[in-house]
Amino acid sequence: MLEEPELKVLQVSSNIKTYLGLQPQDLLDRPLSNLIDPQQAIAIAQMLAGENGGNPLKLSISTDRGERYFDAIAYRTADAAILELEPIDSPNETSFLSFQAAIARVLSQIQRTSNLSEFLQLIVEEVRKLTGFDRIMVYQFAPTGAGCVVAETKRGDLLPPYLGLHYPATDIPQPARELYARCWLRFIPDISAQAVDLVTLNQQPIDLSLSILRSVDACCVEYHRNMGVAALLAIALMQEQQLWGLIACHHYTPKYLTSEVRIACKFLGQLVSLELANKIRQQELSDRIQLKSLQSELIESISQASNFVEALIQPAPRLLSLTNATGAAVCLGNEISLVGATPSLEEVRSLVDWADTQVSDRLFATDSLPQIYPPSLEFQATASGLLLLRISKIRRYYILWFRPEVIQTVTWAGDPNLSIQPATDGSMKLSPRRSFEQWQETVKFKSLPWKSYEIDSANDLKTAIVGVVLRKAEELAQINQELERSNRELAAFAYAASHDLKEPLRGIYNYSTILLEDCGALLDLDGVDCLQTIKRLSQRMEALIDALLRLSLLGKAQLNLQATDLNELLQQAIAVLFASRPEAQLSVCIPRSLPIIECDPILVSEVFSNLISNALKYNDTDVWVEIGYQEQLGISPIFYVRDNGIGIQAHHHETIFKLFKRLHSQEKYGGGTGAGLAIVKKIVELHGGRIWVDSVPGSGATFYFSLK
Amino acid sequence: MTTRPNEPLLVAEDSNEDFRMLQRLMRRMTVQNPIYRCTTGDEVLDFLYQAGNYQSPNLAPRPSVILLDLNLPGIDGRDVIERLKQDKSFKEIPIVVFTTSANPKDIELCYQRGANGYLIKPMDANELEKTVQAFVEYWLEANMPPSVIS
Repeated sequence: MLEEPELKVLQVSSNIKTYLGLQPQDLLDRPLSNLIDPQQAIAIAQMLAGENGGNPLKLSISTDRGERYFDAIAYRTADAAILELEPIDSPNETSFLSFQAAIARVLSQIQRTSNLSEFLQLIVEEVRKLTGFDRIMVYQFAPTGAGCVVAETKRGDLLPPYLGLHYPATDIPQPARELYARCWLRFIPDISAQAVDLVTLNQQPIDLSLSILRSVDACCVEYHRNMGVAALLAIALMQEQQLWGLIACHHYTPKYLTSEVRIACKFLGQLVSLELANKIRQQELSDRIQLKSLQSELIESISQASNFVEALIQPAPRLLSLTNATGAAVCLGNEISLVGATPSLEEVRSLVDWADTQVSDRLFATDSLPQIYPPSLEFQATASGLLLLRISKIRRYYILWFRPEVIQTVTWAGDPNLSIQPATDGSMKLSPRRSFEQWQETVKFKSLPWKSYEIDSANDLKTAIVGVVLRKAEELAQINQELERSNRELAAFAYAASHDLKEPLRGIYNYSTILLEDCGALLDLDGVDCLQTIKRLSQRMEALIDALLRLSLLGKAQLNLQATDLNELLQQAIAVLFASRPEAQLSVCIPRSLPIIECDPILVSEVFSNLISNALKYNDTDVWVEIGYQEQLGISPIFYVRDNGIGIQAHHHETIFKLFKRLHSQEKYGGGTGAGLAIVKKIVELHGGRIWVDSVPGSGATFYFSLK
Repeated sequence: MTTRPNEPLLVAEDSNEDFRMLQRLMRRMTVQNPIYRCTTGDEVLDFLYQAGNYQSPNLAPRPSVILLDLNLPGIDGRDVIERLKQDKSFKEIPIVVFTTSANPKDIELCYQRGANGYLIKPMDANELEKTVQAFVEYWLEANMPPSVIS
């Protein structure tokens, strides 16, 4: 440690005698020029001023054992200047040229690597060639501080590989990461070497964080010793002023590297850092492109599929890779479909209920669901992370993606349970596995965080789905419109056709009548019979047309709802019936007074008179009819019309309500048109009710109907 | 003209006028086969199963051909075809549909259910005569019906 500008020595290593043959006292508080020639002193001053590009200076120092050569590195800290001396065999610089070739080779190959992992693999291979270390790894930090070995090369006989292993954040604690971020290189040629004390006149502490030869803390040494490492080289990889990762080099016997090699490594580290940003951008870009193509494929199949959910969840991996999730749930109302590793159906249902009331955002992501939704502790193993996409709140359309707890997702280095190693004195040492325990506490109930482009991807999916839904709704609205128009046209057509049909029909009827009246005497009995048949058929046709007309009018009818006393209504209907058939033998029984209900009185009157006249028609004996109702709690009453007629076989209970459907030949039971019950059914349905029949053939029939 | 007095024809026709017309044409063609008539689908089944009003073989002999209207009261003609063609003892009796319906769906359905022919009742009297003529010549004269004694 020197004091500028005269470069007076303030502190010196206690082992200085080994190299220079001088005691620390010989140097302390004296200018450096006592040790080296003035020209070299000037070079050191230049180096301190940053004028020589950071390359080490070759020093030759005369000692009592002759000329000794050193690599010298000088730099400034906040309160002093530091000079580090490192013995070398000769002042030759030729070795550096061979590294130039290596660097040139790396440079040319970097361009050819297409993705990040290929690039990192190239780097570890080159660093191994350069340093000859047993094992070279690239160790990447996650935002949480934990790390993972993402590239590795090693001596063939070394086991096991570390590639893919994860290490908790505490393995390389925050201060250590900060140190790495400030200095490109850390080098320990022999981990078991004793730390050499500094000898000083005053006890002033010294900032050695920029030192290459003296920057290793005891904890780090112990950590690596536990792994069996004897020599260690760590090259920092920086990205946007942040420590992105390390190139970690392990050797299992002590190994010394010349300063040229170290500089080459440092240079390589800087080179990698520069290219890293590029490669990461490329990787993200290709990830995004892949995601986009996945998305458009999914959207394509959604918009074409008739079954929307099916298209989403088949094939299952597609929906999952959209957000890099391990499980997903598609909820359409109460219908939930699960894909991949998910909580149970019931758990998902409760989660959706919770989200329905508690989550206001349409897109919601968390990497720690148990913190905000405690019931999820039950299934944190599968769903510590949740990405929730709300497509429609009203319809409760959701897509949920799940991620498991981090601890479940990674391969941890070593067995956490076996590796806690108490020291011989009984205290717990800070070892990798001890630190793992601490770390586990901090990441419990957490999943890997959702990346912004993964969330964007979910958002894009929503936009696409909404688009598809809107298009379908539009199509539906158009179909509805057309349907309504065609319905109106049909009703108009039926009405017009019925009217127009009646005109020629009247002609047929009238001309037959004229023929019978004027020329009846000229015809024989057969001829008269034929004309009678023509008249009868034209009347029948008129009845059919009238029924059609009635039905088509009902199709257009607006209900004229009003409070109606059914007793009154029924009395009138029966009176009309008797008026048209004075000869009818009919006894009507109404066991109890009917209620007053809201209905269209004219139409409901038609229902009753139709049913009563049917009872009259389909009967071989004296007719009785019972009319009543059954009350039901909370539901509108069910009315019934019961008769003692011929009854209806079970297989006709549905068909009797079809238009123009008759059960008997025309000459039997009054030969109606077969439209009566179709009209009754239409009226009941217009009121929002329904009608059905219960009957045993030969024992009468009971027609039930409700009028909402 | 060879006719077969022992091969009864069953006509299922609810319209009196249509049946009278058919009778008139067949009389003109001197059809010798005995003609039986049912007016509803239920009656057709009663006739063949000798149930209801047809409980004697004299009243309801096994027909060698059935001429069937589709829109019958009661059980529909389409359902009559299905019932008879699914019954082992009746499925060989040829059923020829005779209807005003020219709806392709009806034609398809009847053949699906095993109808042996499908004739459309024309409005025009000459056309009607030709159709009935064709029926008589093929089904009552040329065609060999399944053995009546079975």
